[in-house]
Amino acid sequence: MKVGVVGAGVMGLSTAYFLSKSGIDVTVFEQKYLLYGASGRNSGGVSPMVDREELIPFALESLRLYDTLPSEVNFNFLFRKNGYIKLASDEGDAEKIREGVSVLRRFGISSKVISPEEVKEIIPDFNPDSAVLASYCREGGVIFPWPVVWGLARGCRENGVEIRTEARVEKIERNGSRFTVHVNGEKYEFDFVVNSAGAWSNEVSRMVGIEQNNMIIKEEVCVTESIKPYINPYIYDITSGLYVTQTARGEIIGGITGKSVDRIDTSSTVEFAVRYAKGVTRMIPKLKGLAMLRQWAGVYDEGRDGLPVVGFTEIDGFVQANGLGKHRGMMIAPALGKELAKLIERGENSAIKKFDPQRF
Amino acid sequence: MRLESHPIVDFKRGKEVTIYFNGKPVKAYEGETVAASLYASGVRVFSRSFRFHRPRGFFCAIGKCSQCMMEVDGVPNIRTCKVYVRDGMQIRTQNAVPDAENDYLAIIDKLIDTFFPHGSHYKKFNSPKFLREFVTRQMRKMAGFGNVPRRAPDVNAEYEEIDADVAVVGGGPGGLSAAIHSAKYGAKVVLLDENNYLGGQLIKQTHRFFGSGRHRAGTRGIRIAEILEEDLMKYGNVDVRKETKVFGIYGMDVVGVQNDTKLLKVRAKRIVIATGAYERTLIFENNDLPGVYGAGGVQTLMNVFGIKPGNRGLIVGSGNVGLILTYQLLQAGIDVSAIVEAMPRIGGYFVHAAKVRRLGVPIYTRHTILRAKGEKRVEGAVIAQLDEKWNVVKGSEKDIDCDFICVAVGLSPAHELLYHAGADMKFVPELGGMVPLRTRFNETSVKGVYVAGDVAGIEEATAAIMEGRIAGIHAAISLGYGGDEAEEELDEAVKDLEEFRAGPFGERIVCGLEKCVLESEVML
Repeated sequence: MKVGVVGAGVMGLSTAYFLSKSGIDVTVFEQKYLLYGASGRNSGGVSPMVDREELIPFALESLRLYDTLPSEVNFNFLFRKNGYIKLASDEGDAEKIREGVSVLRRFGISSKVISPEEVKEIIPDFNPDSAVLASYCREGGVIFPWPVVWGLARGCRENGVEIRTEARVEKIERNGSRFTVHVNGEKYEFDFVVNSAGAWSNEVSRMVGIEQNNMIIKEEVCVTESIKPYINPYIYDITSGLYVTQTARGEIIGGITGKSVDRIDTSSTVEFAVRYAKGVTRMIPKLKGLAMLRQWAGVYDEGRDGLPVVGFTEIDGFVQANGLGKHRGMMIAPALGKELAKLIERGENSAIKKFDPQRF
Repeated sequence: MRLESHPIVDFKRGKEVTIYFNGKPVKAYEGETVAASLYASGVRVFSRSFRFHRPRGFFCAIGKCSQCMMEVDGVPNIRTCKVYVRDGMQIRTQNAVPDAENDYLAIIDKLIDTFFPHGSHYKKFNSPKFLREFVTRQMRKMAGFGNVPRRAPDVNAEYEEIDADVAVVGGGPGGLSAAIHSAKYGAKVVLLDENNYLGGQLIKQTHRFFGSGRHRAGTRGIRIAEILEEDLMKYGNVDVRKETKVFGIYGMDVVGVQNDTKLLKVRAKRIVIATGAYERTLIFENNDLPGVYGAGGVQTLMNVFGIKPGNRGLIVGSGNVGLILTYQLLQAGIDVSAIVEAMPRIGGYFVHAAKVRRLGVPIYTRHTILRAKGEKRVEGAVIAQLDEKWNVVKGSEKDIDCDFICVAVGLSPAHELLYHAGADMKFVPELGGMVPLRTRFNETSVKGVYVAGDVAGIEEATAAIMEGRIAGIHAAISLGYGGDEAEEELDEAVKDLEEFRAGPFGERIVCGLEKCVLESEVML
């Protein structure tokens, strides 16, 4: 069995990694370079506190994988388990926070509703007036997305996976029971093609005649200059969509959850910079004196019903692995990749039935 | 270390104030930058490097090198060469225990390559899990550069949006000239500059300019800055924003921060980018030691603030900058032990070279600097001869007695904003690095975005003024200003610049320019 994976983000690479662990021959195609897509542009927040109950088991399994994979592939993901804080700045969202915590408790995960003053105990410079309610989960934290991608790629290569960068898939032809994938003028034959192209997934699906219509979301992120350890947990305000934490290098990184766009666009805007700066300095006033060093934008996709699109399609052998969605790609991708690998090997896997591409 | 008298410059020092450096009082004068005052009081180690904790002094003194970053009044990562002293200011060094001068963590520089070579943070100590987690926690403690912020600056941020026909970024010779010539024909101009003065690097050029009389030869650089500024102020349609750091170009919006408090967005129809250049450094052992400075850094210290960079300098590079700097050092009563030049012949004009030789400074051609000596500051240097293949001639090493080293090996264009604007760029060694493709009117591949001065290719101030003139007039004409008169002046300006570059010293520039002509401009 030969599998071609389109897109070398965390989703594509973890699928490739678990397939290759079972001895399957895998080739990964990346249109630009490792980290070009959303997996290289996000801020690295991970937590079991995902907003859809269906995804909690995958978030938990991914956290476990983030603990075990570094030893397996011998690459440190710089995972910092300093907790994950969700904030609500209006009453409606406060209710969501309470619900979220009770759902997590049902899964046996320790998490609690805390007051803004209690957030201040965790982050001394936090402004308690910037939120009405919060929740805290000790299991979550911050991961550095780059070594996750590099580490998975390293693991893949050790298992014999070929990762081709600057290799944009131009055409996918159905060829009996197999596929012919055209890349840079060369042809590759596969039994399965996995579409893990993130925001570019709709385009890849169209190559085999599938109109997928995942939502494309553009999100902007920025970092400040580097300072000593200052913000340990990951903080996410579900009302404003603003999130902030500190990177492994000491930069304060943060952004605002993105909006759906018509086409792929990675331009930065000053409007974001202003909105973010206002929001984050209200949350942590002492950040006022820091200079913004870089800002950038990235694109990712989300299934039309808000759930990932993972599994077999009406075209036999063409597999979707995309649509992971807002604020959770890094949180669920390794586990989804693992389950998808099982599906491809065995032909069925009830664990990811809910994400069946043919549900629409 | 302050100069009390100087043959050309009259240093007008402000009121005496006291600032506190790591808790100790330091005498300073209003109008000086924090870095200048600290330097005058004998401070040489301004920071420690991010990873190895090596001692660092400033290199550029104009806000580019980031080696002078300290905590100022509780706010981390402030470039002290860009902040002016205020009485009672509290300044602390960063990333060091207890302070930058005596940093215990400097031991890392000696040990890290043995125990933790580069890449270890990913590739080592991954199993078992508890070891990885322990190492990751320790790395987290060591990471980060600036101090944690102690307080929020007590200012209220403002926001302002303005419209402009032409936004000019950079108030050096190129930018000033562009602003003047756009304004002259009636365009509404906004001129943005990060400094609290106009003139850019002209303000430290105490020497007379060369070339023909028409191009202000014989006038000192500092005076040229004044003339240009006076010219500009004649026009009522110019809005000058000093102390405004432009950080981004978003489409045709030029966005900056004015006085650290106001976010300023200029919605421009045309943009002239005249951001100048960075000083280059050279690879040699200990080239990061405090006391190794860019030539411009030394000029800033000496010619702008009247502070002696040291007692005895070594100059690396015999281009005009190196030669003129040598002369300026001698003028200020500072010894120069030697000039070294890797090329077989002197790079700068003969007149300048003859002048410094007459004053007894040896120029070693076909020589290079091998290393700077010293632990926390330069205490000497070793130079050596080079053979035809650029290899060091064995046995030719020579000790040089000096307490500072000026690196005058050229500049690189400060081109960040051109990338923001999306201009097509190309590497052209003759012009100093990555430069934009452009039309003969200095318009880049992005319609309405122009370049002038060193950012378009390293030349000198006279050419920058002429490029600014061309860009400024063309921008105005493209917006419907000026009519025939402007067209005529544009023709004349283009011819003028061509003539200026026609001499033997312009050959290299012309050769470089031919490589970065926009395709649409290529005449068949």
